[in-house]
Amino acid sequence: MSANSLAYSEQSGAEAAVELGQETTPTSSAGGAAFGLFSTDFKKNEDLKEMLESTKESLKLEAMKRVVGLIARGKNASELFPAVVKNVASKNIELKKLVYVYLVRYAEEQQDLALLSISTFQRALKDPNQLIRASALRVLSSIRVPIIVPIMMLAIKEAATDLSPYVRKTAAHAIQKLYSLDPDQKEHLVEVIEKLLKDKSTLVAGSVVMAFEEVCPERIDLIHKNYRKLCNLLMDVEEWGQVVIINMLTRYARTQFVSPWRQDGVFEENSEKAFYDSDEEKKEGAAQTKPYVMDPDHRLLLRNTKPLLQSRNTAVVMSVAQLYWHLAPKHEVSVVTKSLVRLLRSHREVQYVVLQNIATMSIQRKGMFEPFMKSFYVRSTDATHIKTLKLEILTNLANEANISTILREFQTYVKSQDKAFAAATIQAIGRCATNISEITDACLNGLVLLLSNRDETVVAESVVVIKKLLQTQPSQHSDIIKHMAKLRVPVPMARASILWLIGEYCEHVPRIAPDVLRKMAKTFTSEEDIVKLQTVNLAAKLYLTNSKQTKLLTQYILNLGKYDQNYDIRDRTRFIRQLIVPNEKSGALSKYARRILLAPKPAPVLQSAFKDRDRFQLGTLSHTLNSKATGYLELSDWPDVAPDQSVRNVEVVEAVRINTRSDCYYRRDEDHSEEKRLCSHSYLVFCSRSDEGQKNGRLEKSGSGSGSASASSEESSSAESSSESGSDSDSGTDQKRNTKPKPIKKVRDVIHVVHCFCLSRLFPVQVSSPVFVPVRPHELLHRMTGKGLAAQYHFPRQPCIYGDHMVSVQLTFNNHGDHALEDIHISEKTSTGQSIHCFRPIGESGSAAVLGRTCSKTERFSVSIQPAVGELLLPVTMTEQDFSREQGKLVGMNESSATITMAPETVSSQPVSKKVVSVANVGVVPSGQDNVHRFAAKLVSSGTLVLVCVVQKDSSAQLTVNTERTVVGSMLLRELQTALSSAP
Amino acid sequence: MISQVFILSSKGDHLIYKDFRGEADKDAVSVFFEMVTALSGDQPPVVMSHKDLNFIHVRQGGLYWVASTKTNASPFTVIEFLNRLAALTKDYCGSLCEKSVRMNFALIYELLDEMVDYGYIQTTSTDILKNFIQTEAVTSKPFSLFDLSNVGLFGAETQQSKVAPSTAATRPIMSHRSEQGGKNEIFVDVVERLSVVIGSNGVLMKADVEGEIRVKCYLPTCSEMRIGLNEEFSIGRSQLRGYGTAVRVDECSFHQAVKLDEFDTYRILKVCPSQGEQTLMQYQLSDELPCAPPFRLFPTVEKDYGSRYTDCDLLSQELSSPDQTAELQLKNKAILWSIPRFPGGAQLSALFKVEVPSLSSASLLEVGPVSMSFELPKQTCTGLQIRFLRLSPTQPGMSQRWVRYVTHSDSYTIRI
Repeated sequence: MSANSLAYSEQSGAEAAVELGQETTPTSSAGGAAFGLFSTDFKKNEDLKEMLESTKESLKLEAMKRVVGLIARGKNASELFPAVVKNVASKNIELKKLVYVYLVRYAEEQQDLALLSISTFQRALKDPNQLIRASALRVLSSIRVPIIVPIMMLAIKEAATDLSPYVRKTAAHAIQKLYSLDPDQKEHLVEVIEKLLKDKSTLVAGSVVMAFEEVCPERIDLIHKNYRKLCNLLMDVEEWGQVVIINMLTRYARTQFVSPWRQDGVFEENSEKAFYDSDEEKKEGAAQTKPYVMDPDHRLLLRNTKPLLQSRNTAVVMSVAQLYWHLAPKHEVSVVTKSLVRLLRSHREVQYVVLQNIATMSIQRKGMFEPFMKSFYVRSTDATHIKTLKLEILTNLANEANISTILREFQTYVKSQDKAFAAATIQAIGRCATNISEITDACLNGLVLLLSNRDETVVAESVVVIKKLLQTQPSQHSDIIKHMAKLRVPVPMARASILWLIGEYCEHVPRIAPDVLRKMAKTFTSEEDIVKLQTVNLAAKLYLTNSKQTKLLTQYILNLGKYDQNYDIRDRTRFIRQLIVPNEKSGALSKYARRILLAPKPAPVLQSAFKDRDRFQLGTLSHTLNSKATGYLELSDWPDVAPDQSVRNVEVVEAVRINTRSDCYYRRDEDHSEEKRLCSHSYLVFCSRSDEGQKNGRLEKSGSGSGSASASSEESSSAESSSESGSDSDSGTDQKRNTKPKPIKKVRDVIHVVHCFCLSRLFPVQVSSPVFVPVRPHELLHRMTGKGLAAQYHFPRQPCIYGDHMVSVQLTFNNHGDHALEDIHISEKTSTGQSIHCFRPIGESGSAAVLGRTCSKTERFSVSIQPAVGELLLPVTMTEQDFSREQGKLVGMNESSATITMAPETVSSQPVSKKVVSVANVGVVPSGQDNVHRFAAKLVSSGTLVLVCVVQKDSSAQLTVNTERTVVGSMLLRELQTALSSAP
Repeated sequence: MISQVFILSSKGDHLIYKDFRGEADKDAVSVFFEMVTALSGDQPPVVMSHKDLNFIHVRQGGLYWVASTKTNASPFTVIEFLNRLAALTKDYCGSLCEKSVRMNFALIYELLDEMVDYGYIQTTSTDILKNFIQTEAVTSKPFSLFDLSNVGLFGAETQQSKVAPSTAATRPIMSHRSEQGGKNEIFVDVVERLSVVIGSNGVLMKADVEGEIRVKCYLPTCSEMRIGLNEEFSIGRSQLRGYGTAVRVDECSFHQAVKLDEFDTYRILKVCPSQGEQTLMQYQLSDELPCAPPFRLFPTVEKDYGSRYTDCDLLSQELSSPDQTAELQLKNKAILWSIPRFPGGAQLSALFKVEVPSLSSASLLEVGPVSMSFELPKQTCTGLQIRFLRLSPTQPGMSQRWVRYVTHSDSYTIRI
């Protein structure tokens, strides 16, 4: 940045003085510093050994510094190896580190001596200081001596379970080093990777994925269980790790989710149809397409990477951009545009690679970058290769609407001093002209004007482009050909092109063509080879079309060509002569001469040089080079059928452990901004924790120990409660409400607590994931009644983390008052046979600075949670056949039905299922008929099936609910009735 | 993954060479230099490949910073890494030039060692690296006339003691030596780059300002810094409040360490800067300059067929003051006009007439746009200013704070 050349003052001239001053300082000139030091070293190198063997720490340190200096400059210091190795056990960390640097450099050369140091490392691996443990492992794994492979393996395995995340991170880095030293260890290393992938520390996540990518990128199955965790940690991983993780997840997602694009295409088609065609067709189309529902995990990845577009690391921004490009639905990709354009303000090297990627993207998706067209205008300070890339992009973006603006820009570019760039602009104009037929004429005229330019590259390029353009429509442009025939251009390539044009279209300019040939015959001998070849061609073509005038000329030229120095021209001449001049020997071919020489030639297609680059993943080296680099992993195509989603489900225990460690309950929930805030908060807490761990390895142990302890205790308590409820499951409506205590600290306003309804009896039908509906909070406690404390609850319809057989209720506490509230708990179990577990007191809530003056323990409020019957269901997937069979069993008493009049908006299929789903947590049964909607669920308390069927007839509908539990059936029927008959 | 990293001088001398994975040949350095120099054109492509080895390089401080890789690494990662490496070298060694790199061999080697392990980038954060780096930077303290001029005659304070030379900000961040240990300084730069296109009729066709606030911090202990911007600073159109000279930008982005809780109401940026250089805020304004563009050029092209000149020449020049100079540089096709003094509220003008021989009427079409490049100190086009710069808690002893404003021309084009 040239800003530094400017003084912090008015005196900007001072810089020069300073520069001068530097030059005049004799002792510190460049050579003096480097070689002066070195030349004195020559003498002192002798004493380095003594210094290293002395007892004084400071002398040793001094010596080691000089030794490392030697290495850095590429000097050989290997003869000091024995003396240096002795110091490996030094207590001084600074000295130790320098010795490590030395060892890594020379161990491979002096394997025997290096072995002497191994025991020291083994000891250092047990050091209480995590930094020493880590650096010992790092150096040990960097020593490329095959004999110590088993030792390294052991060390890595141990370090992978170390308490310090920093050491575990180092272990992850060591994996690929060992792998390259001995690939036979792969099996064991994969085990370590698997273990480390489970790690919750943000420090480790990036490093272990790097190891994964190098050692076993094909073992995609290892990612399943860690996928959600990686997505959630991503924000807090350090930037270099983010890049690697995002790239890996891109590959993963392409194998695990179905394409969001195909459905898009169908959708667009439909909307177009709806626009043009009658309504019947629309209905048909709707019946054909199953609505595409994006896998929530797919959505999770897209959502969690989006904020990273703001990263100041260009590599992160680009990797998110490519992730969106390869994974996001088409209409969402444009969110990355702005960030990519922002990268254009970065260093020119970054600009170059970004522009390459944009060029590829802009071929497929013009609309994405069109609003930012101005950003691709060429600046006078750009380097040539950046200018040409910008031209490429502008050309890709050109369409009927903006072409006039773009052409105006191009007009100024043609005048540029940079002739290579001007030539590239002419080519770009040519491409625009072929792509957009409206402007072809205007472009041609403009290009003809350029023919009188002084610069030969510009002229040459214009002729070449005009030639290509004329090929597409020669008949209307004989005047241009005439004009060109008169031109006397100095560039051989351009002259050759003109000759070819005249030859090709000699029938359009019958009078000029022979004259041109005459002129060329005069100067034939002094022409360039390429011009000579085209002259021969022209002669041959004229001979065929106008032999009367040109016979003698042609023979003259052919004779000249026969004795030319260049064998290409001699060959061509001989060939042409045999072809066109009839004689006894060559009868067969000359019949076809006309068809050979004057065959209609297809017009060249002017297309982007970036056309074929999209076969490579964006943002990779292979894409930049446009050739496959070693280790390039192809992105697989989307699978036709999504693989099993449940492989990514994580066991309950894991989830609980996350809770306790991050000190805050965090759930993945769709579009819940408060939760997001909470999530980031929880990570803050978490990070600071791990920092503590770094400083004090022992302390962390107790932390995680207690974490797992509480996890297991909770697990047992939930198990206990479920067994308890299992015993009274027959009593049906008897539900046991189990309130989980959650230790929550320092969360500003919002606290989430999970209640669980314990369910019994696992139902054999497969439970599906709930359809997403907007959150409908219910008031539990108003802030006025609660004296500042407000509480809301809603049913998040997420599988309960304590087990599949429970339903979660989410409570949200808001402290509107200005006091901190402490010790919030539910004190009494209440009414109707439902029992409530006591809260463990919630730590504190509200502004953390003011600590408990008013305690909520002094206040009591009675509250009640009234679950709607629809929330007590769990969605179930079943086929249409199963549905009808089950429905057949549940008739008579078990069936309740009603006819309802529906609001006109509800008539089409989407709103019906949406409404039903919003009222009750039911699963949609795929239906073959357009007017019949079926839904299935089971009751949480007893596992009884609940089947809902809506048959639409014009504006009325028949609503049927089948279930063994008649009370539930009628309640559900009533709720559905009100929901469906109301306007949306 | 990165195989090797090396730093070459512009002449191809090996300054630093480090091999991380031992998979590439040692002669890669010379192969690279041959490739770079063999290419014509102003700038060689960023990525080049030789056999199966790929070189990615950036140029900073007149040096080639090169990384080679054999695998399909992301070019962005490598470029970003090299840029960070250069920035860190600048932070640790003071300035970025061949000499400082030469003198700090050991330090850079150590930095590289900590930043990259087996070709994988570990960290590039100054705060983390600070804990590991042991070697001290070597700087040459240049003899400077400027230091002398700071002390006036008989020790009287001159006006210049209120300003710091540009080199003040080019010293290493980690120096334990006593002579500099006491200097707790912080430098804040407001740098704006102006790209303007003015049409042949004098109409402003495009005007973009890209600006940033950069901080270079030498404070050893991290204390909170508060930077106050103009109170009437507004982002986007919607925030414009009534009349007055609002300072408006279209977009604004901040460094992640910047706390913005006072930004909305008081326009105060709070940050605990870590040592070294960092960009706190970036902003841009497009299409609407609050002031007139700083330079205007009124070009006219006349045809004079009776030309007496055979060479391109500066026919006449009229400058508004005798201490200004102007010369025609034929090599660069440029006129250099230097203005030593520019008092506030003044307007300077100059008239140049250049004779170009053998310009046919057809080739008048070729007369391309005129571009200007300039550097304006103490001026921001958006009007952004720093109201105050406070450190809290106030550092005992001398903590000096410096602020400067610069406007650069990025691409200032006048079409003819």
